[in-house]
Amino acid sequence: MIIAENLTKTFRDRKRGLVRAVNNLSLTCHPGQIFGLLGANGAGKTTTLRMLGTLLEPTHGNATIAGYDIRKNPEEVRRSIGFLSGSTALYGRLTAREMIQYFGQLNNLRGTDLSTRVDELIESLKIGEFENGRCDKLSTGQKQRVSIARSIVHRPPVMIFDEPTSGLDVMTSQTIMAFIEQCRIDNLTVVFSTHIMSEVERLCDRVAIVHHGVIAAEGSVDELRQLTGEAVMENAFLKIVHEMKDPNV
Amino acid sequence: MFSRSLSYVVFRKELRETLRDKRVLLGVIVSPLLVTPLILGTIFFFAGKKQMQKGEAILDIGIVEQAAFPELVQQLDDNATIKTKHFDTREEAITAVEKRIVRAVLVVSETARIDFQNDQSAGLEIIFTFANETSQSAKSRLQNIIKEFDKSALAKRIQTMALPESFAKPTSLSINNIATSESTGSFVLGLFLPYLIVISAAFGGIQTAFDLCAGEKERSTMETLLVSPASRSDIVQGKLFTIFTISLIASLCAITGIVGPLAFGLDFLKDSVGNQISINLTSVLAMLLIVVPLALFTSSLLLVISSFARNQKEAQTYILPFISIILLPAMLSTIFGAETQLYTAFIPVMNISLTMKQILGDLFDPLYFAISLGSSFLYAYIVMRIATAFFQRENILFRT
Repeated sequence: MIIAENLTKTFRDRKRGLVRAVNNLSLTCHPGQIFGLLGANGAGKTTTLRMLGTLLEPTHGNATIAGYDIRKNPEEVRRSIGFLSGSTALYGRLTAREMIQYFGQLNNLRGTDLSTRVDELIESLKIGEFENGRCDKLSTGQKQRVSIARSIVHRPPVMIFDEPTSGLDVMTSQTIMAFIEQCRIDNLTVVFSTHIMSEVERLCDRVAIVHHGVIAAEGSVDELRQLTGEAVMENAFLKIVHEMKDPNV
Repeated sequence: MFSRSLSYVVFRKELRETLRDKRVLLGVIVSPLLVTPLILGTIFFFAGKKQMQKGEAILDIGIVEQAAFPELVQQLDDNATIKTKHFDTREEAITAVEKRIVRAVLVVSETARIDFQNDQSAGLEIIFTFANETSQSAKSRLQNIIKEFDKSALAKRIQTMALPESFAKPTSLSINNIATSESTGSFVLGLFLPYLIVISAAFGGIQTAFDLCAGEKERSTMETLLVSPASRSDIVQGKLFTIFTISLIASLCAITGIVGPLAFGLDFLKDSVGNQISINLTSVLAMLLIVVPLALFTSSLLLVISSFARNQKEAQTYILPFISIILLPAMLSTIFGAETQLYTAFIPVMNISLTMKQILGDLFDPLYFAISLGSSFLYAYIVMRIATAFFQRENILFRT
């Protein structure tokens, strides 16, 4: 489970001065649920997820992930999450198997536990045919499968996806989408950021529309459509963000 | 325990990846072990060959006799290492040197023979051009022939005057070099080996450092690593020890690349540093020990630069101050002798280089060694802390 309360992150920018990238953002996400963060580029989605992943420390506010406080137990939090984003890459000079093994070891898997888990992932994600190939020689689709394996090698109860299909072709995107759906079936808690409406409509149980670092609206896809009176999600999104003022101005 | 920690997991992976990097293998292992000895060997081979050719070549020498001096000129004409050509005037001879018809000219003055016969000094002049190597050799050869002539003429004069041989030698000086050929070799080695080791330890890790931090940011693998349970300290330690290991390997390969060919009897290298090279095991161990804090210091500095840079290209632009920090004291160490004042043991980098010089020159000073080692570890620790602090800062790790 993820509970975030009043998460705020400010940066000092040389040109813009003090920038509030995320402003008092709160959300709750339950196991077996996919929670979507929908927003334009620069809305604060990545910063929010990076705070949840303990990559960035919140300026104010706090969150608990799988019962662990992101400020007090960052290492336990990272042990409890699988993090997959469109920008997270693989180590080019490691083989697919070595890459999965490495992240297993970083999550304290050793010996037969590690080898059994790696074998299991290689089989289930159909990595076997290229398991000994160096990651820099793999196709985009193969890389994505290794990335998925890397993110779940330690069986995390929480999955964080930051625009995971960004830059991928339709076929590869489908692999990721199917994986996210599988996470829900496996009763994992999933937070998912995107700016692609069709992904939100297909995957999300609840959606928060993020604009200028704050949640402009939250609900299921149907609830947001009803709230705006729009039949198409894209129009609903545009209506909500246009009605909002930039709190940084 | 390091071996069980996540730092060790990071270290093992980084080392494995680094050793698969062809650029690192080429720069750190292949180049110092194969290319350096090959280049040195080629240089020394051709230098030796040229020296030999220089010694064997018959040189054209001009002679201008303003008055006859057969005692000397006959000796020149008979000398098998030169070929003489007679000129009538000095100007004619100078033109011949300029046109390289002859390489040097001996001008015999008008009164030379009379002065010689009267037990005075005969006036001679050598004309040559410094701008030409062969001309310089011809000058030296002429000087040697005249030296021999002087020697035999002096012996005759002493004999004629019934003087003892010691008349021409007011002192009898014998020079006795007590250094063994091994210690001479080690001394000569000490002039450049420490500098080479310092440079290898400092620059051997550059590629690795840039790849492990700035490179990771560039390739977006840093985020993958930061979101793992490894703490920032674990990551810094793992990366730092990888750079440190590569720096040490670079130093070892540099030493092996120079000392190895000597040990295996490549004469052309041996000749350039002394008759024989001998470094005992204690010296090798002491040098290895002293290079450890240096490698730690430079690895940490490189990690600081690499973590600050957004990408490898940017890291390369920050390298200039680093080069100055290392090169300047390393170069200064070539000016300072091994028997230096104690305060130099506190100057980073230079102290390591001077300590090695002492070890190689049989001037091992335990106090100097201890201060150098201690202060170098302290500097390495300070820079390591800075590197760790840099890694904790979001605005540095996520600079875009």
